[in-house]
Amino acid sequence: MAVPAPDRAFLFEKGRVSMDVNERIKALEEKLIEALKKVEDHNDLQQTKAEFLGKKAEISQMMKHMKDLPEEERPAFGKAINEGKQRFSELIERKREEIRRRELDQKLKQERIDVTLDAPDYTPGSVHIIHRIVEEIEDLFIGMGYRIEEGPEIETDEYNFERLNIPKDHPARDMQDTLYIDGERLLRTHTSPVQVRTMLRYGGGEPVKIICPGAVYRRDDDDATHSHQFYQIEGLVVDEHTTMSDLKGTLLRVAREMFGSDREIRLRPSYFPFTEPSVEVDVTCANCDGDGCGVCKQSGYIEILGAGMVNNAVLRMSGYDPERYQGFAFGLGIERIAMLRYGIEDIRHFYVNDLRFNRQFT
Amino acid sequence: MKVSLTWLNNYVSLKGIKPEELSQAITLRSQEVEDLSPLVDIEEGVTIGEVTGCRPHEEAEKLSVCTVDTGEKKRTIVCGADNVAEGQKVVVALPGAVLAGGMEIRETTIRGVHSEGMICSLSELGIDEKYHQEEGIHVLDPAAPIGSDALEYLAFNDTVLELDLTPNRADLLSMHGVAYEVAAIFGRNLSIPDPELITSEQANTVEIETQTEGCQSYYGRVLEEATIGPSPRWMQARLIAAGIRPINNIVDVTNYVMLETGQPLHAFDYDALRSDRIVVRDAREGESFVTLDEEARTLKAGDVLITDGERPIALGGVMGGLDTEVTSSTRSILLEAATFDPARIRRTSSRLDLKSESSMRFERGVDPQKTRYALDRAAALIAIYASAAVRDGVQNVDRHARGPRDVTLSLNTLNKVLGSNYEAPAVRDVFNRLRFPYDEEDEVFTVHVPSRRQDVNTYQDLIEEVGRLMDYNALPDTLPTTLSIGGLSSRQKLRRHLRRTLSGLGLFETMTYSLRDVSRIDDLTLENGKPVELSKPLSREHHALVRTPLHGMVDVAAYNRARKQESIHLFEIGKQYTSEAERERLGLLMSGPYHHHRWRPTPPTDFFTLKGVIEALRQALNLPRFHYEAITLENYHPHQTARIYCKGKSIGHIGKLHPEYVEPQGLEDVYVAELDIESLEALQQEDYTYAPVSPYPGVRRDIALLVDDDVPAEALKDSLASVMPDRLQSSHVFDVYTGEKIEAGKKSIAIRLTLADPEGTLRSEDVDALIAEGVEALSREHGAQQR
Repeated sequence: MAVPAPDRAFLFEKGRVSMDVNERIKALEEKLIEALKKVEDHNDLQQTKAEFLGKKAEISQMMKHMKDLPEEERPAFGKAINEGKQRFSELIERKREEIRRRELDQKLKQERIDVTLDAPDYTPGSVHIIHRIVEEIEDLFIGMGYRIEEGPEIETDEYNFERLNIPKDHPARDMQDTLYIDGERLLRTHTSPVQVRTMLRYGGGEPVKIICPGAVYRRDDDDATHSHQFYQIEGLVVDEHTTMSDLKGTLLRVAREMFGSDREIRLRPSYFPFTEPSVEVDVTCANCDGDGCGVCKQSGYIEILGAGMVNNAVLRMSGYDPERYQGFAFGLGIERIAMLRYGIEDIRHFYVNDLRFNRQFT
Repeated sequence: MKVSLTWLNNYVSLKGIKPEELSQAITLRSQEVEDLSPLVDIEEGVTIGEVTGCRPHEEAEKLSVCTVDTGEKKRTIVCGADNVAEGQKVVVALPGAVLAGGMEIRETTIRGVHSEGMICSLSELGIDEKYHQEEGIHVLDPAAPIGSDALEYLAFNDTVLELDLTPNRADLLSMHGVAYEVAAIFGRNLSIPDPELITSEQANTVEIETQTEGCQSYYGRVLEEATIGPSPRWMQARLIAAGIRPINNIVDVTNYVMLETGQPLHAFDYDALRSDRIVVRDAREGESFVTLDEEARTLKAGDVLITDGERPIALGGVMGGLDTEVTSSTRSILLEAATFDPARIRRTSSRLDLKSESSMRFERGVDPQKTRYALDRAAALIAIYASAAVRDGVQNVDRHARGPRDVTLSLNTLNKVLGSNYEAPAVRDVFNRLRFPYDEEDEVFTVHVPSRRQDVNTYQDLIEEVGRLMDYNALPDTLPTTLSIGGLSSRQKLRRHLRRTLSGLGLFETMTYSLRDVSRIDDLTLENGKPVELSKPLSREHHALVRTPLHGMVDVAAYNRARKQESIHLFEIGKQYTSEAERERLGLLMSGPYHHHRWRPTPPTDFFTLKGVIEALRQALNLPRFHYEAITLENYHPHQTARIYCKGKSIGHIGKLHPEYVEPQGLEDVYVAELDIESLEALQQEDYTYAPVSPYPGVRRDIALLVDDDVPAEALKDSLASVMPDRLQSSHVFDVYTGEKIEAGKKSIAIRLTLADPEGTLRSEDVDALIAEGVEALSREHGAQQR
């Protein structure tokens, strides 16, 4: 649209210049608003800006008339023009912001993604479920002041059997079929030799409060419920006043930690050469809450570990005086705990390490 | 031990105790009950019938059409057994009866003939074939009353309780022992009658001599004019309930009395003996002997032999001989009741892999005071059931010590060990129920332990007796009062740190077997050596102890690859087992995409992926810098394998497995590493060291070099570090190029250096000087040319 040339005659004949200036500026402003509506981009905007605010723009030209005005009207005249320019400028800047925002929106739109697409595999791996349970049990016992002791897997007959009150030709050797390396050395059949080694190291003069985790071996054909290698944790407390009730209370803690705070345990008489009395410990079946079901073979209970009061013969052979000291010991198989806890049907899963299995315990 | 409840009820009344209650009480107070089930799993509808007519089926050659009188009516029954005949008394399953195995009997038409029931074999009643050798239907004796309950007549209406015995409780390998136990548990009366034996005027003249410590006692009786035949039905049923096959009245009696008393017995054909003497002696090394099962056994010096003075007649405590076996033509019998050294019996039976009912009892120890009782009891039963005459007198040798075993237990000790608060009357009650005589003074019990309980020798054993009969579950739940400080050792902490870091990096922990195929034991290790092998391997696969966890891990990789798993990233804390030591080793394995981005390109997993994981681990463990030195190692890629050093010490290796090693296992591009955990533990810095962060910005400069292809990047970086030790903050290779634009045998390598002066801002001319010095050193030491 063509901008009309300033009508000088009109402006000055009336002698009320400032009023006329204001109206003129108002008209220009309306023109500017109309012009901005047609502006599409920064280029258009630049042109429009030159047209309305550039040196040749009408509002700029009006300033030249200042000198023709009476002294007293000049300030109002100047103020009106400056304010007009200010408003024009704001309108243009507002438009500029609008264009910038629109262009950015356009750009961001191009960056649209499908948020449901798969992320790359930064998924963590996993600690083996057996070690995870071992750590859980360790932490429970560390909290009760136990230390964790370890020992060799290649043991001697002496530590694995004889010092545990299982002499050669003892029928109890049938309870654990042994993998021998030679006449004297063998793969430990339980973690109990660690107890003996620890007691001997302590030298019979101070209380013992330990657990011993580790791999053990038996001459067994591997099937769903048997494994020639498995993981065991043994516990041992020896002091002047350690009782079978302490054992019972401790095992109740273990059972509840492993299987839930509403579990109960049951002690049944059993026999191990290294403990007397000996017990086997059952936990109420989590599947049926003790009512009897297929998992617990209708008994309501599931066997989880063996335990007892340390046999005096073992204390004596480990350098502890049974007249003064007494203690308890227990041993549990970790695979069995895991199988019961998660309903795992085959012990071989732990050693096959199918990643589809391991991944479930991330 | 399988316990017939009918039999048990003879000694201790089970009135008012349901089998399930009995089972529960025994489990909680004595031994684990493995099974509780009826001897024959048939509820009703099995009766005795007489075959009054029998003719061939007109339509079917192998079938007979029988008329069977079952008392209430005469039935037509089609029978397929060859041995069915008119006049037989038979077991008839009536329509509606459900036989063992769930077979329901119905009236039915077989090839046009209506059949109203089934004539049964023992197997159809659920008696396993190991207990009988009958083919066809079971024929009852002529006296069987028509129309009465056949199971009752056969004494099969019994319930069997199977105890899973612990090896200490030898006494429970006898019905008498179980009766004592049940009487103690329920506080009931017990009645075990003495044998009623009538002897003839003829005297027993057998001389007995024992020349070995292996035989502790030997008792013999002679019986004459025996009639060999089947034993009575009730005895056969009880033997079957106990898991022993009935043979004939003599053998059955010896087994029956063994089950009753726990004392094994043996019957010799007296006429087959070559002299009137029994000499018990040690076997000679290499001596041969044919046992009852017709196997020739080669003996050793520790075995105990029963001889007739001329030749062996039994392998003492284990099994009798074939030559002197009781047969259908036997008339006279020498009955033996003896005891043997448990350890020697155990050695013999283990070595010969010959576990018998007899050896099982001897190796656990039998009650020496039951030996004579058992002999007389068996003689009395044979006298009745084989119409034999028992010669007067018993010949014996007996070295067992007599007199009670006294064990003392105070009430105070009992409560101190159990943590209980039991009082004297409760303890008295337990000893009374156990029928343990005792003296009591000031709450101290001196118990005179009966010889049947060979397992009770110490006060701890008495505590067990009281504890179990009072029920362990009555004890309070307390915790040890021992004060101690728990915690993990530095090794235990390190293992946990490894597990957390590596699983965080996306690796899966594996747990594999320690025993492996010995021929492959050195496949993946740095150091070879003599493997630790089992003397009797489980199998070829489980033969020797591994020398690295990598072994099992490669199998795991192959297993998972075969199951279409793409990303296989594993770690395992395993062991290297040698004769001298067990060293813990960390195995790492990576194969397939790492941080896989399935719809965008993922950089291929290579040596540097695994190296990156190792470096991440190194930093997580706060260990000093690692150095990598190319090596060659069997089964590894000859140009992508390195030994890893830290502080000048070899701590492990990393490498790509040789394609020829992995391809047969269905794998490709497998990278593995092994680190010695003990070394890692030793290298761990006790704590962090802090240095203030420099406020002065570092200056970055890139240098491009042309060097021989085999110059390791690490060597270039080391040279730069030695020239400007205080100024070089870091150096990274950011480009390596070989190819067309580079002369053969050379590579272009670009290194970005970050230089800084901790005391101030480096001036540009100082940086220029340092770089010039560095380039000069690289040129001098490695022949590098700046490009």
